[in-house]
Amino acid sequence: MKLEIRDLRVSFGGRPVASVPELAVDGGEIVGLAGESGSGKSMTILAVLGLAETAGAAVSGSVRLDGQELVGLSGAGLRAIRGARIAAIFQSPSLAFNPVFRVGAIVSRALRQHGLSAAQARERADAAMRSVLLSPDLLSRYPAQLSGGQLQRVAIALALALRAEVLLADEPTSALDVTVQAEVLELLRELRDSRGMAILFVSHDLAVIAELCDRVAVMRAGQVVEQGPTGQVIAAPRHEYTRELLAAVPRLGS
Amino acid sequence: MADDIVLDVRDLRVNFGPVRAVDGVSLAISRGPFGIALVGESGSGKTTVGRAVLRLVPAVGGTITFDGQDVLGLRGPRLRAYRRAVQIVFQDADNSLDPRMRIGATIGEVLAAHGLAARGAVADRVAALLAEAALDPALASRYPHQLSGGQRQRVAIARALAVAPRLLVLDEPTSALDVTAQARILALVSRLRDERQLAYLLITHNLAIIPGLCEQMVVLYLGRVVEAGPTGDLLARPAHPYTLALRSAVPEVEAAARRSRIILPGDPPHAAAPPPGCPFHPRCPLAVEICRTKVPQPRPVASGRQVACHRGDEVLAGLRPPGAPAQLAGEP
Repeated sequence: MKLEIRDLRVSFGGRPVASVPELAVDGGEIVGLAGESGSGKSMTILAVLGLAETAGAAVSGSVRLDGQELVGLSGAGLRAIRGARIAAIFQSPSLAFNPVFRVGAIVSRALRQHGLSAAQARERADAAMRSVLLSPDLLSRYPAQLSGGQLQRVAIALALALRAEVLLADEPTSALDVTVQAEVLELLRELRDSRGMAILFVSHDLAVIAELCDRVAVMRAGQVVEQGPTGQVIAAPRHEYTRELLAAVPRLGS
Repeated sequence: MADDIVLDVRDLRVNFGPVRAVDGVSLAISRGPFGIALVGESGSGKTTVGRAVLRLVPAVGGTITFDGQDVLGLRGPRLRAYRRAVQIVFQDADNSLDPRMRIGATIGEVLAAHGLAARGAVADRVAALLAEAALDPALASRYPHQLSGGQRQRVAIARALAVAPRLLVLDEPTSALDVTAQARILALVSRLRDERQLAYLLITHNLAIIPGLCEQMVVLYLGRVVEAGPTGDLLARPAHPYTLALRSAVPEVEAAARRSRIILPGDPPHAAAPPPGCPFHPRCPLAVEICRTKVPQPRPVASGRQVACHRGDEVLAGLRPPGAPAQLAGEP
């Protein structure tokens, strides 16, 4: 398994906010983490990134990347992995980009931090932009000059340019129009199928998860209440909460 | 028929400097209970139409008629009376509620401004409105930040209901919420529609929330109506390729309900520099020569329906673009 979570517990001042007994994502696989606001999905993501502690949380348990333990790793050790091997995209791409820098400057700074020369960084950034179907010309613009969908693609391009093996996607399409959402989901499928990326995809929308994810874990109030292959969980949900989430999805029908 | 129309918008035009944000939009809203959906992507002008209806942005052309009155010419007390009859609920309740005012004061202020409740009766009225929006009346003493996003949106709806409006403009009321909170808001709108005989204009980018709430729908692209008609028929058999693409973008839980996805290349063009011919042609998978040169005018197609597409009849008859997924190019 590329990414393996075991007995992960995140708590604030002794109060548990997320508890994941077992969750694994292999290369070439998208695993969904479903639940409402406040269910602990995002905290799980932050804990995998080693960022939960910086938010004041206590983290215990195990997160392994290709067998290497990440929980308890030093700052320098985490920095070498975060971005380069585990990338993350978030709900609001406009908040993820510093508004006073050009997009290209943000991308190349990240690449250079991971050891690339300026020329290499530019070359990789241009190629990565084309991979997400964006013109490299957009790199000379400021974040406010790009649409939300374009910015989310740039965030994905950055993950590609860094050759990340794991992508943590925290509600990456919730703030986008459905048409743009469809494009981003298509792109994530491509990353899984043609690059063998391991993707952990967080969403409150079981319809999106049903379309995208190979397996799913449903969280409520910090606990995983159900998990399994997506088709099975959707077709025969065992937990009442999963049924509630399913019932909440608006349907166009056929 | 005309007597049933409460709000009639004809050929509405709104400019922001040189940008034609709304470029000739017409729609009619019947007396409640009645829902009409205004659908489109970011930048389509749907929110601007809603704001122009409320007279929050000035129209540069067209007419808006409410109960036979010319809305664009209203001033003073008549404008105030109109704004009482037509209320708006914004997408982002975080920004539309004053963070320093308790919920009870926020709603009470509206009642006082319109002289709708004696001082001693305000608290009771606020409690009744909160209960009507399926909220615990005890929330009146809380501040907005102490509530969830869904609760805040209910407060915004309760505040809009305080003046007993005849028409509600709901501008993406659930886009900032998760599906669970969204389902509760939609159920609330459905209940209020019957209990209060409400008419509403539901502005949304998500087609999936329209069936069951709206009899009619209008699809906007770059400030223009590309397709309009009864919801059921229009969704079952779109006549515009843009509607097809919007419909195909809706994620479905059941695999059987999924349609082959039509990915529109690129973002919508900016309204400051609309392309020549049909504004949709650069992204349209069905565009032919005439689409690049001639602007399609809205015309009737099927019963009660309109479409602005040179190939509308073919699309209605079943013409579909090849559903090829977007290709990735180049290795980083």
